[in-house]
Amino acid sequence: MSFLTLPKLLGKLRSSQKGQARRSIKVGIPKFLNIWGTAPFWVGFFDSLGMKVVFSSDTSEEQYRTYGKGRITMDSCFPVKALAGHIGELLHKDIDILFVPMIYSLPSFLRGHVMDTLCCTRVMMAPENIKAGFLKEKDEFKERGIKYVSPFVPFGEPELLPKYLFEGLKPAVEDLTYEEVVEAVKEGFASLEEFDKSMREKSLEILRWCVKNNRPALLVLARPYHMDPGIGHEIDAEFQLYGYPVLWYNYLPIDKWLLDWLGISLDISDVWTSSYSSNTNEIIWGAKFASRFPWITGVIRLSSYECGMDQPTFTPAQRIVESSGTLFFKFGELDETKPAGSVKIRVETIVYYLEKYSQDIIKRKLSRLGEVPKELTL
Amino acid sequence: MEAVSFEYKAYKPRPFTKEERPYTTILFGGLTFKHERLITGALENMGYKAKPLPNIERIDLDIGKEYIDVGACCPTTFTAGNLARALMDIEKREGRDAVRDRYIFVTVGACGPCRFGQYHESYERVLEGLNLRDFRLFLLDLLQLEQSAEGGGLEVSMPLTLGLVYAMFMGDLITDMEYATRPYEVKKGQTDQVVKDSVEVLYERLKKRPIVGKKLGNFLWHILTDYFVDALKEVKKLWDEIEVDRLQPKARVKITGEFWLQTHEGDGNYNIKRWLEEQGAEVIPPPVAVWMDYLINMELFKLEDAKPFVKNYYLKKLAISFFAWLYRRTYDKLRKALNNIPNPLPSQRELKELARPYFYYRLAGGEGHMLIGKALYALKHKQAHMVCELSPYGCLPNTMSVGAMAKVLADYPELLYAPIEIKGDSEVHAYSRCQMVLTEAKRRAKEGFEQALERTGLSLEEIRDFEEKHPQLKRATYKVPNYGYVGTSANYVMHVAKLMGRLR
Ligand code: SF4
Ligand code: SF4
Repeated sequence: MSFLTLPKLLGKLRSSQKGQARRSIKVGIPKFLNIWGTAPFWVGFFDSLGMKVVFSSDTSEEQYRTYGKGRITMDSCFPVKALAGHIGELLHKDIDILFVPMIYSLPSFLRGHVMDTLCCTRVMMAPENIKAGFLKEKDEFKERGIKYVSPFVPFGEPELLPKYLFEGLKPAVEDLTYEEVVEAVKEGFASLEEFDKSMREKSLEILRWCVKNNRPALLVLARPYHMDPGIGHEIDAEFQLYGYPVLWYNYLPIDKWLLDWLGISLDISDVWTSSYSSNTNEIIWGAKFASRFPWITGVIRLSSYECGMDQPTFTPAQRIVESSGTLFFKFGELDETKPAGSVKIRVETIVYYLEKYSQDIIKRKLSRLGEVPKELTL
Repeated sequence: MEAVSFEYKAYKPRPFTKEERPYTTILFGGLTFKHERLITGALENMGYKAKPLPNIERIDLDIGKEYIDVGACCPTTFTAGNLARALMDIEKREGRDAVRDRYIFVTVGACGPCRFGQYHESYERVLEGLNLRDFRLFLLDLLQLEQSAEGGGLEVSMPLTLGLVYAMFMGDLITDMEYATRPYEVKKGQTDQVVKDSVEVLYERLKKRPIVGKKLGNFLWHILTDYFVDALKEVKKLWDEIEVDRLQPKARVKITGEFWLQTHEGDGNYNIKRWLEEQGAEVIPPPVAVWMDYLINMELFKLEDAKPFVKNYYLKKLAISFFAWLYRRTYDKLRKALNNIPNPLPSQRELKELARPYFYYRLAGGEGHMLIGKALYALKHKQAHMVCELSPYGCLPNTMSVGAMAKVLADYPELLYAPIEIKGDSEVHAYSRCQMVLTEAKRRAKEGFEQALERTGLSLEEIRDFEEKHPQLKRATYKVPNYGYVGTSANYVMHVAKLMGRLR
């Protein structure tokens, strides 16, 4: 050990002592909008800072009714309105900091191949909108002794991320240093990458199973938060009951050998020219993947009522999928209440079509591709 | 092995060549008839044939709904329907080949997060619906000073960009003159006529603008000569002729809202500005120039945020700051030619700071933080009795800032704020919502006026007598200074009192 490394070591010791001291700080994070898809980052980030994360529960009608209603002063899609329920619920939990990030852009796997990876304007602005409902009569955060922290989060500008997060958190965590935040951001990205990688591997395993057993699978095209049972109403699970494996567009495998075989890359400019919105870009890319991958014989499109970002994509996404004969089914206008009855009936009909046409679709799509790569038949 | 056939392809227009330019008309739209006429002048000046789309009508909403995917915001639906109607009309008149070969449509794209950047997707549905996929539609980037569409037929060069900027500025200035004058005009209809005449004078000037230099030379010519200042001075003479009666207390209503909706004058927003005037209001219209100023300043704010990571930070900051300064200076210079009757541009830094506790400035899309900033600016600077925010049905960003206004209103209960949702087909509902707030705004305007009379001890007769002796006071171009009142009439009373030596 040299004298030069000693201060570094001392620094480390100091920060881990701080870490111990901060173990008692509980950070409540509402499980809303693009927290879905970035949650592993936040867990890694706060873990590195020595704080404990408490998430709100999944969205539910009850959560919204109990904690959220009456705080909304405008009309919007339900995924945004649901944030009021999450914040309200967390206010009743034992937390010290309420952390509601304004996620402006995302760390998409398509970055570098598209114009930008921005969030929907409602996604990034939702915290400012919903916060007003908890402040207009009195400061409910203050009243409960909870520090409200809502930093601007541009995942697409990673060099700026520590700065915004540090500025946001500093007033709530006095001994916080910029260097610690830089380190925590690194940890956050590492845990996000690891999670995404494992999810893509899982998807690949499922696809391999389909290849091996010559069984069809379904792909969901939606926003990441449609994974939330209260937003996507678990429509994908209905298909699983019939034995159909269901994959999500945002965790598809992106291995080069696979994309080469399918004749696609991460570029979507041939089908979508305004590639600014991260989720939209990925949906469009997922549509391209589905249209080519033989064992994906059907696509389930989920969309929330009043979703302005989905609206321009409806026709292109459907056309891309159907251009290869892949079946396309849309569950649009999803709202706060689960349309249980109608979903059941539709799922039955869809399953009928899937059973009838899947094998033909697989054959037709296979006939257009080269030999199945060995990596798929492992 | 046959490659996967993948039929769906994004729309791509055929190239538009230089040779086609003399017989091809550029269609465009989305602004007021004043701005559009001036843009036509700027385009013709550069050798293009240009024509704005017809005025938006109620029927465009229905046509739009027929062609585009459900759930679009009302500006997308209106403008898509408007394009469809225009193309159908041309086809009826001149035939299908003419639509394909003799017209192109140019719109602004590349704007990022909200649907604005994706309007063209809806326009493409229109082309498919009309079976006109070979019609050419080009997107331009609002922030690029120089760009060209494939084929080289459409080249956005420095002279064209600056021509368009001046067209936009002058469109804004004439609009400000119009709304400051019409509510007080003595001879009904005179303002409208002068607006038309002014636009024609300016159109001719734009069309005949000498093209001096190419890049820097052209830039310098625009900032160093008084070509457009002189044109506006000529226009001012037309406005000098309008007699106004400012002794009518009227509620000053600031219009804010989504870009297209707030700028628009017509069925798209229920003609709400005219309606407000009929109800006894003086409208403060939103200039397009504010939005461009916002875009420039956002670049500056973003740079400031990224300071530690930017190479040559100070140089870059200086360059953007200079550009932002020049932009405002040019606007002010033109305003001065109209005796400063048009409103100055608000400071973007102030808008950002005012909005900050409620809406973070980097949340871009639509008008971003500006809606909250502008409402507070109007209140703090005593600019308006009331803010009428036009919020499109189905708009993404606007719904968010309207929600955030709940806290603003809790902190500033004196702010009169009317967010009006515009669906395009529920006029009565919108008017009645607006009317409720307007009633209070009118009461405040009247109260201010009476207070000014009381403070000065002047009677209406005395003021009228004074006006007879000083007829220049009754000119639309006479600038009444601000004496701390919101209302025009109250400030006018104070001003007359001052001129009479009755103000202590
Ligand atoms: S993407 Fe759609 S559902 Fe999501 S916040 Fe935006 S408008 Fe709402
Ligand atoms: S700002 Fe709102 S109304 Fe305008 S294009 Fe975007 S979503 Fe539509």
